[in-house]
Amino acid sequence: MRVESSIRQTGRIAVSVLIGTAAITLAACSGNDPDPGRQIGPNPNLPEPIQYFFPPMHLASVVGWKNDEKPTVAQGLQIQAFAHGLQHPRSLYVLPNGDVLVVESKAPGGEPIKRPKDLVMGWIESWVTSGGDSGPSNRVTLLRDADGDGKPELTSVFLDHLRSPFGVALVGSDLYVANTDSIVRYPYNTGETKITAPGTPLTALPGGPIDHHWTKSLVASPDGSLLYVGVGSNSNVAENGIEAEKNRAAIWQVDRATGRSRIFAGGLRNPNGLSWEPQTGALWAVINERDELGPNLVPDYLTSVKDGGFYGWPYSYYGQHLDPRVMPQRPDLVAKAIVPDYALSSHVAPLGLAFYTANSLPEAYRGGAFVGEHGSWNRTRFNGYKVVFVPFSGGHPSGVATDVVTDFLDKDNKARGRPVSLAVDKTGALLIADDVGNTVWRVTSAGQ
Amino acid sequence: MAVCLDENCEGWRIMVGNNPRSTARIAGHPIHPMLVPFPIACFVGTLLTDLAYWRTAEMMWADFSAWLVTVGVIMGCLAAIAGLIDFLANPLIRAQPPAWPHVLGNLLALALSIINMLVHTRDAWTSIVPTGLILSAVVVLILIFTGWLGWSMVYRHHVGVAD
Repeated sequence: MRVESSIRQTGRIAVSVLIGTAAITLAACSGNDPDPGRQIGPNPNLPEPIQYFFPPMHLASVVGWKNDEKPTVAQGLQIQAFAHGLQHPRSLYVLPNGDVLVVESKAPGGEPIKRPKDLVMGWIESWVTSGGDSGPSNRVTLLRDADGDGKPELTSVFLDHLRSPFGVALVGSDLYVANTDSIVRYPYNTGETKITAPGTPLTALPGGPIDHHWTKSLVASPDGSLLYVGVGSNSNVAENGIEAEKNRAAIWQVDRATGRSRIFAGGLRNPNGLSWEPQTGALWAVINERDELGPNLVPDYLTSVKDGGFYGWPYSYYGQHLDPRVMPQRPDLVAKAIVPDYALSSHVAPLGLAFYTANSLPEAYRGGAFVGEHGSWNRTRFNGYKVVFVPFSGGHPSGVATDVVTDFLDKDNKARGRPVSLAVDKTGALLIADDVGNTVWRVTSAGQ
Repeated sequence: MAVCLDENCEGWRIMVGNNPRSTARIAGHPIHPMLVPFPIACFVGTLLTDLAYWRTAEMMWADFSAWLVTVGVIMGCLAAIAGLIDFLANPLIRAQPPAWPHVLGNLLALALSIINMLVHTRDAWTSIVPTGLILSAVVVLILIFTGWLGWSMVYRHHVGVAD
């Protein structure tokens, strides 16, 4: 205990020294972050990397949503809260009968402090945790809105005592939940509002003790025989050693019958929102790229994921752009690194992806993809903190991303909420998990 | 042996055998020489672990370097405060030939180490190679020079010595 408290004290002193000096450095070199607009689309502008003396940490402090406040939506749409008062809702899954599963989840914690920097960054991040996060999380809550009026008649704790869960997938009567360290199967019968049966582990996933990117996104193949799991990296850019990245920064393919797994695609720093593109049936995902190379590096992206593909991390980005921080380099891997399909601009932190195949939203949204952008911390001017729409045609992005749901930040740049995962409910409305506002939002056509 | 010649001890300085007196002290023991071993050992250690990381790319050495340079800066700031108090409070200390280069050299080493600490907050290879490693080596070279002068102040010029 004494050692711990003295470490903490040393940390505080280090903080004041670091912040003092960092302020000087920042004043000298930050200025205005250039407009990220030129980084949206298939050919993003990639400036030269910047190596900071201390990375800009600009996090939005949390104010939450006041009584009747809500995000702003694009023309032709309206938005209402579907459910309030949740505990850090991170992801959503719509069951065949229309019941909505809300995965409430918290970081596993216990990430070891390896350097003074970990102390400082952990300390700064602790200022901006979600509002009112004292209650129980790490569970799945079921919301039933049988009449489709956007107001659930029933709320039930569906599954409890999970380990930092994120992905959910249903195949027949097998419900799979991706905890941070394992995929667990539960028996589910249509209409159930609570599962009491113990889960059966299917496959272990890379978890602690570091577990830096802990969300495990999950999707089942259309024929139900395979599961695909997003496993994020254990660091920003392999600074915990490359051995800590074994089987990480990858999308796994898991055989549902045996639990056996293989790496489907690698070099994906933090893949989330695994989804099937409706026209081609290809697997797509949104990827969080690396930090601390400048306000406009590296653009996060939306991409199709090819079997056996390698997408660069940690050695390179956007194909063959080498990251100077990685040693030893791997020219063999860099040579085959695939350029991703569609840049979303830097540090937006995409965590949610939903292709729109329903028909109750305006015509323009049909066939395209909604992307939930959790928002930046590593640039002076905020980027992300919104839901955007990427139009698709012929199975590929066909235009510039447009804002769909905005104003998660208020006028003083304080966070009322932050969007994470997305889902489309049985009426065709878009659902948004907001883990800082502790809300699920529901977007419908205006006048519906 | 210090003896007061008058009621107010104004003759104190004269009676410590012309030894320039330290102002920042605890129970007659100057604080500055108690603290300086910490930054010196930390900054020498930083250079060694930087070299080890440069040759091996093993992240453990980079982590060691980050701790060493950070603790070195913190303890170095405390040592600098004690040293500056002695230096500014007593003209007899300022009058010693090694005093000015000792002070200016150490302030330069501390300033470079603060920059070096920030370089060491980068991730992986560029937290050390090449900028961090160069800064660590320059700081150690300065410390050999200023350390020598500091030891001269005590062992040759009897600064803070209570005989």
